[in-house]
Amino acid sequence: MVLYTPLSYHEVFPEQMEGYKYVTYQGRTLYVKETEHGELQLVQLMSTDPQDYLNTSLTPGTILENEFVQQRK
Amino acid sequence: MKDEKENEEQAEDISPSEIVEKIKELGQTNVPEAPESNIHVLTIIGQVEGHMQLPPQNKTTKYEHILPQLIAIEQNPKIEGVIILLNTVGGDVEAGLALSEMIASMSKPSVSIVLGGGHSIGVPIATAANYSFIAPTATMTIHPIRLTGLVIGVPQTFEYLDKMQDRVIQFVVNHSNISEKHFKELMFAKGNLTRDIGTNLVGVEAVDYKLINDVGGVKDAMSKINELISKVKQGNDL
Repeated sequence: MVLYTPLSYHEVFPEQMEGYKYVTYQGRTLYVKETEHGELQLVQLMSTDPQDYLNTSLTPGTILENEFVQQRK
Repeated sequence: MKDEKENEEQAEDISPSEIVEKIKELGQTNVPEAPESNIHVLTIIGQVEGHMQLPPQNKTTKYEHILPQLIAIEQNPKIEGVIILLNTVGGDVEAGLALSEMIASMSKPSVSIVLGGGHSIGVPIATAANYSFIAPTATMTIHPIRLTGLVIGVPQTFEYLDKMQDRVIQFVVNHSNISEKHFKELMFAKGNLTRDIGTNLVGVEAVDYKLINDVGGVKDAMSKINELISKVKQGNDL
């Protein structure tokens, strides 16, 4: 693989990056992290619609309601 | 008739059990909402997170969320102005400058209030707004930028740092009334900060140095943003 960045290898690929994944939630793609309690916490919203970023239920740090989460394969 | 149609349209988005719950609790399907505000608030708090995610116990400002929000604010016709609240210890220079440039290049008026602290990269972010206020007890630390990571001991490293620092200096000088000479004096002052180089400005001192427009708080910022909004409506430049 060819990388073009001033960062070192270990900054790009840290040793411990477990629990992060992409899910679909309310029709949008989210980058989430599993918390210690088994809940999913929003890390980053991946959307091209700027109005989504003004939606208060989609701000980073929000704990997602499980019934609306769809796992992505 | 019209109400029934509106309710039907909105009901399609909500599941039937939610509607039943709402009727049980409130006796109606639609809860009256507060009117939408024409002014949005952006909070720049904690550390300005950069290209690396900070450990979770840090309070952070995530630029990847705020940048699209600024586009949304620029695009949304209902939003007429932005108030930026700052209480930051600083953070990543690139993320901070990205936020500052976005704020500065919006067509809609913006007013910033420095509360608590507006340190380091908080300085360009505060000056990026059309008008800036600082609370009387708020403080801003002006100091040279610092580098983390693997540092190679050659003169080019210093020249690189100097170039990066110039980016910040140029932005602040271009977006405030402070001169480059005075800003550099504050930045390189010795004897003010413990074990560091720079200056700590408290409240009115930032205004005296012409870095921040005025001392003030919520009331002053609100009246200023409304003043700027009506200026824009009348077709005048900000």
